[in-house]
Amino acid sequence: MPSALPDKLRTLVGASHVLTGVDCSPFVVEGRAPEAVVFPGTKEEIAAVLRAAGEAGLPVTPWGAGTKMAIGSPPNRLGLVLGLKRLDRILEHEPGDLTVTVEAGLPFETLQAELGKRGQWLSLDAGATERATVGGMLASDASGPRRHLYGTARDLVIGLTVVMADGSLVRGGGKVVKNVAGYDLPKLYVGSFGTLGVLAEATLKLRPRADVDRVVVARFDRLKAAGAAAHAVLGSDLLPSALELADAEALRRLSLGGGAALLVGLDGIAPQVDWQVAELQRLLGPLGLGETSVLDGGARDDAWRALAGLGRPGHDRVAAVMKWAVLPAQIAELMEAGAAAARRNGLVGAFTAHAGVGIVTAVLAGGTNPNAVVSALTEWRALANRVGGHAMIESAPLAVKERVAVWDTAGPTLRLMKGIKERLDPHGILNPGRFVGGI
Amino acid sequence: MEALLGPDGVLSDPEELLVYESDGLTLFRALADFVVFPRSAEQVAALVKLAGREGIPFVARGAGTGLSGGCLPSEGGLVISLMRMNRVLEVDYDNQLAVVEPGLVNLHLTWAVGPRGFYYAPDPSSQQACTIGGNIANNSGGPHTLKYGVTTNHVLGLEVVLPDGELMWLGGKTRDTQGYDLVGLFVGSEGTFGIATKIVVRILKKPQAVKTVLAVFDQVDQASAAVSAIIARGLVPAAMEMIDQLTIEAVEDAFGCGYPRDAAAALLIELDGLAAGMEAQAERVVAACRDCGARDVRAARDEAERQLLWKGRKSAFGAYGRISPAYMVMDGVIPRTKLPYVLGRVNAIVAAHGLRVGNVFHAGDGNLHPNILYDPRRPGEEARVVAAGAEILKVCAEVGGSISGEHGIGLEKADYMPFIFSEADLACMRRVKEAFNPTGLCNPGKIFPSNKACVEVGPAYRPHPIEEKGLAQRF
Repeated sequence: MPSALPDKLRTLVGASHVLTGVDCSPFVVEGRAPEAVVFPGTKEEIAAVLRAAGEAGLPVTPWGAGTKMAIGSPPNRLGLVLGLKRLDRILEHEPGDLTVTVEAGLPFETLQAELGKRGQWLSLDAGATERATVGGMLASDASGPRRHLYGTARDLVIGLTVVMADGSLVRGGGKVVKNVAGYDLPKLYVGSFGTLGVLAEATLKLRPRADVDRVVVARFDRLKAAGAAAHAVLGSDLLPSALELADAEALRRLSLGGGAALLVGLDGIAPQVDWQVAELQRLLGPLGLGETSVLDGGARDDAWRALAGLGRPGHDRVAAVMKWAVLPAQIAELMEAGAAAARRNGLVGAFTAHAGVGIVTAVLAGGTNPNAVVSALTEWRALANRVGGHAMIESAPLAVKERVAVWDTAGPTLRLMKGIKERLDPHGILNPGRFVGGI
Repeated sequence: MEALLGPDGVLSDPEELLVYESDGLTLFRALADFVVFPRSAEQVAALVKLAGREGIPFVARGAGTGLSGGCLPSEGGLVISLMRMNRVLEVDYDNQLAVVEPGLVNLHLTWAVGPRGFYYAPDPSSQQACTIGGNIANNSGGPHTLKYGVTTNHVLGLEVVLPDGELMWLGGKTRDTQGYDLVGLFVGSEGTFGIATKIVVRILKKPQAVKTVLAVFDQVDQASAAVSAIIARGLVPAAMEMIDQLTIEAVEDAFGCGYPRDAAAALLIELDGLAAGMEAQAERVVAACRDCGARDVRAARDEAERQLLWKGRKSAFGAYGRISPAYMVMDGVIPRTKLPYVLGRVNAIVAAHGLRVGNVFHAGDGNLHPNILYDPRRPGEEARVVAAGAEILKVCAEVGGSISGEHGIGLEKADYMPFIFSEADLACMRRVKEAFNPTGLCNPGKIFPSNKACVEVGPAYRPHPIEEKGLAQRF
């Protein structure tokens, strides 16, 4: 790093907001430490930092709470980490409009707590950690069980303010829930992993909180039966907010015994939820429904959190986590094939799925031999590809990532993606090398 | 092109081209050199490659129901009509998706999947005529977007012909595709990123129950307050539409749908979903309306009455033909809590220009449709309509809104983009456009502020006699 840069950064954001040397160690990415960590306090300061980094030719990695930093190809070089924790305000919340505008570094749980006081919520799932920031969740397109009914970040973001690589501030979308003026830039930035700009502010659509919010845990002897049950729910009049399928190994790791389970989220006003709980049991009874429990309050939150934490790195000998996107009707069969592939490699697979939308979380555990892990992940990807789906690695050791591509192929569309990247970040300073196709 | 498409696939006779000189916004007109009718993606790709080789601008066109001049050949060249590519290619009920061609009429998809209890949710008021390809270009909405979202929330994948003629898939049948969300970017790009030739959409199960409520108010502000009050009670109706007095009179003259003529405003509120709890939710809606001063609130007793109430709403545009020789529809969006203020400003602006306005709009999501009534035979009146329209959109921008909720920017509002976007915002959009459309031949002159030298403005449309009879309508 040019020796003048740390001083310049200190001038830009204040000396206490720049870390160098050993202080950077909590910000290591894939074994590489950044040359400095800088915490701007305003979007104008973000712009100044980006301009300074650009002049010095130093790559910049935006950082919310760092909870998703395991995702992505290993960076060639880590320059500056740009931390957003100081941009943590709710800028505007008008309950009657069901919209909120926040700064990117705002912790998601803080936002939910504030919205909750007004009877509203942002319909995304926090995942396993309480630290995630709104900006990080948008940049990584984080989603959870309730995407089944409420969609993902792309459906909720109505406006974004982004600091571009050249330091210009760009707004896309707006503050209203319906808007077709200009290109839908928020769609482009959601899930772009900091490669096109630094998210500074976001305007989001909200929902009223439901009066009642429960999870029905429906147990089955076999995965096939639970899969058939999921299919039956999808074809019924039920309107679940979540439909999660879990296999025996996933249940064992959650200390829920074996077999298979369907976790059905049901929310709304009391008569809606009551009818659906009863209807679910009527519908699934003939399909081999075993023990059933209905969770509410803390037990419900714990269940969702435990499910999301299944693949936490280092947790119970987890070696790698893959995310598959396939068609909903294929899920149960693919989970079984995935488990067999893991066994063939001397490992264990644990699977959960958002059964209605076709997203499978495949956790590989039971050993750390890189050859076995590489082989199993390669087989898993082939399984997803064979049915027209795709698979990306959410987390894996560096030694594995060096041998199996983190992202699945983007095919011919890569040309368009690279074209966009080159035009918005011509010097390639934004999180280079971590995204699809080496972007 | 005749060798490629056959002799019936190319129009070049000036009389025939005239049919394609405008869309639903008849204020703008531009004549193509050719209108062509491909039957396959490969033919579209060949046409686009040919246009590229010859340096001819080209633009895709569906049913031509657009309201912003977005499909006009404003620099001449080719209009590529997709109306012969109108098949449902595949319906996968297990995975709740359908693959369709771009020329398929929106409502025909719902007809195709209806017998199995499914429907396609985005329902622009023009859905009996507009095509899914056109919906993709404009990211079309409709009354039920309040609960179900707009077109982009229902599209999984697109086969597209890029402006250089390459055919490729963006997204597909699965969610969470790898890399940037090119599908999300393409939807709503108004035909400037290429031409969609196959479209994968989600289809939804029909709701178990529907309840439609009509609330009648003596003051517009009461109706506006009721919209916010319903939201504040934790309800998300499927639709929440407002109709003002002038519009009610036109609708009653034309169709007699049962709206009270002396009401200042009516709210049409539709709840859908599970049968369980439906009554309880309807009671909350009724209570919210009464608390805001509704003089009458009633629920449709049966499907026939429900259809009649919706006919009043959906036919409002056609009904203006009863009371005015012409009208221009605006499409601003505002935060819904600003409704009382903005409606007041709209009325004042239009009155100051010596004109009348009827409002019929998606109140639930703050998407206004002021319809400025005028007589094109009176000299100078059209210019006043355009001036009033621009002022209305400025007010929308000032309260934090947008200049278009569902009709698109097209030619009409390109010069208004600076109302809501900075030079840097527009520069970013231009760079993204270059990544798709580096030569600019694909639908030139749209979205971005630019000259409109080749576009003829006015004289405006006159309603057709069948429109005045309510047998057909403009949307």
